[in-house]
Amino acid sequence: MNAAFSFQVTSKGVIVTLNPELEFKLLKNALIKHVNEANSFFAGVDIYLNTNGRTMRYQDLKELMEIISEYKDAGEIFFLSEREKRDDIIKQSRDSVLIKRTVRSGQKIKYPTNIFIIGDVNPGAEVIAGGDVVVLGSLRGVVHAGATGSQDAEVIALKLNPVQLRIANIITRPPDESSSKNLARLERAYIKNSRIIVEEINI
Amino acid sequence: MGGKTIVITSGKGGVGKTTATANIGTALASIDKRVCLIDADIGLRNLDVVLGLENRIVYDVVDVVEKNCRLEQALIRDKRFSNLFLLPAAQTRDKTAVTPYQMQELINVLKEEMDFILVDSPAGIEQGFKNAIAGADQAVIVTTPEVSAVRDADRIIGLLESEGIKDPELIINRIRIDMVDRGDMMGIQDMIEILAIALLGIVPEDENIVISTNKGEPIALQKKSRAGQAFNNLARRIIGEEVDFMKLKKDTLMKKIKKIVGLS
Repeated sequence: MNAAFSFQVTSKGVIVTLNPELEFKLLKNALIKHVNEANSFFAGVDIYLNTNGRTMRYQDLKELMEIISEYKDAGEIFFLSEREKRDDIIKQSRDSVLIKRTVRSGQKIKYPTNIFIIGDVNPGAEVIAGGDVVVLGSLRGVVHAGATGSQDAEVIALKLNPVQLRIANIITRPPDESSSKNLARLERAYIKNSRIIVEEINI
Repeated sequence: MGGKTIVITSGKGGVGKTTATANIGTALASIDKRVCLIDADIGLRNLDVVLGLENRIVYDVVDVVEKNCRLEQALIRDKRFSNLFLLPAAQTRDKTAVTPYQMQELINVLKEEMDFILVDSPAGIEQGFKNAIAGADQAVIVTTPEVSAVRDADRIIGLLESEGIKDPELIINRIRIDMVDRGDMMGIQDMIEILAIALLGIVPEDENIVISTNKGEPIALQKKSRAGQAFNNLARRIIGEEVDFMKLKKDTLMKKIKKIVGLS
């Protein structure tokens, strides 16, 4: 993966880690694009810019910080350079939000953390998480894990039968002729070689 | 204390809200409950037609809230049951002519007089729907065995929850068990699984409904028809009686003979 930057969701906020090898101009454009697309996804979330050991001109750094501060309604913006400090933040377990009900058509569950649902997600509903999505029930709606770009996010459900499944920037949908699954079996979706793989979890 | 207000709603149009309202109302009245039906579908009123009371309308719900008349003047007494009333919708106005607050006030007054108030909700989730659910204690969701209708029902249940109307109950209308058996129609279990709410009743598809609706005579009056029976059972469940769900499959000739000779 030669992405311009990666996102990590922590309990303190989102860490934006820059790719130290990429040309500054490309980095800047990618970030601008992301800010525009993210809309208000980072509302109320603190953002940590991690230069990841990259040496930068003051002017460049200032520009990047300004771009990041454009995330709509974001919380505070921090600058992070030390590796230890970054690990420190990541070490804290990722927060999760627990939803204990049926998520119905027209309802949207959106958090920058992991989302854990005890209940069903019905067709017409949307679940969008910065981290993983776990559904103890039938997942029949649209689900987006790793919505902030984290490629290692996963979707786990007792009945994985979504209208559409997205992880990071990859979108997939079940084959058109898919038979409706009636047996509950724990399944996991994750990214492997830029494709979404769905496999059964054997317990 | 007073009566109970039940809103009958669905999200999708054409699934049988008005038919259900008219028939449950009639069935409740036939077991000696005082019932008032409110048509909340302002601008597209139908409930009066289904009940055969169209030609008796002088004042409507908008006249009442605008204080052009007293509530008692607008209430129409049913031609079959003296304990069944209709508060018709206005046909020449639209949904904005009434506010949720006004509906609630109206219902509070009616509650003093009635055992049950059934509110026939319009399709959709806009102002008309908000008016219809304003004074409701309880909700009944009508759906047909179609994916689109079930989807809308699910949306409505979510909206009701956020309005604080908990535990709505489900009516599955127009089911055809032969089609379900062939796998051409959603089954009852499939729908219950998705919607995850209690089942109040199942009404089989019955062409007599079309006839009775056009005549303005609710099918609940024909206790022998299957749909009429289903609505009467529904009404009895609403008042708290335990009534078994209707058998949807007709017995085969062989089985009938066996029953007669006492073999099964």
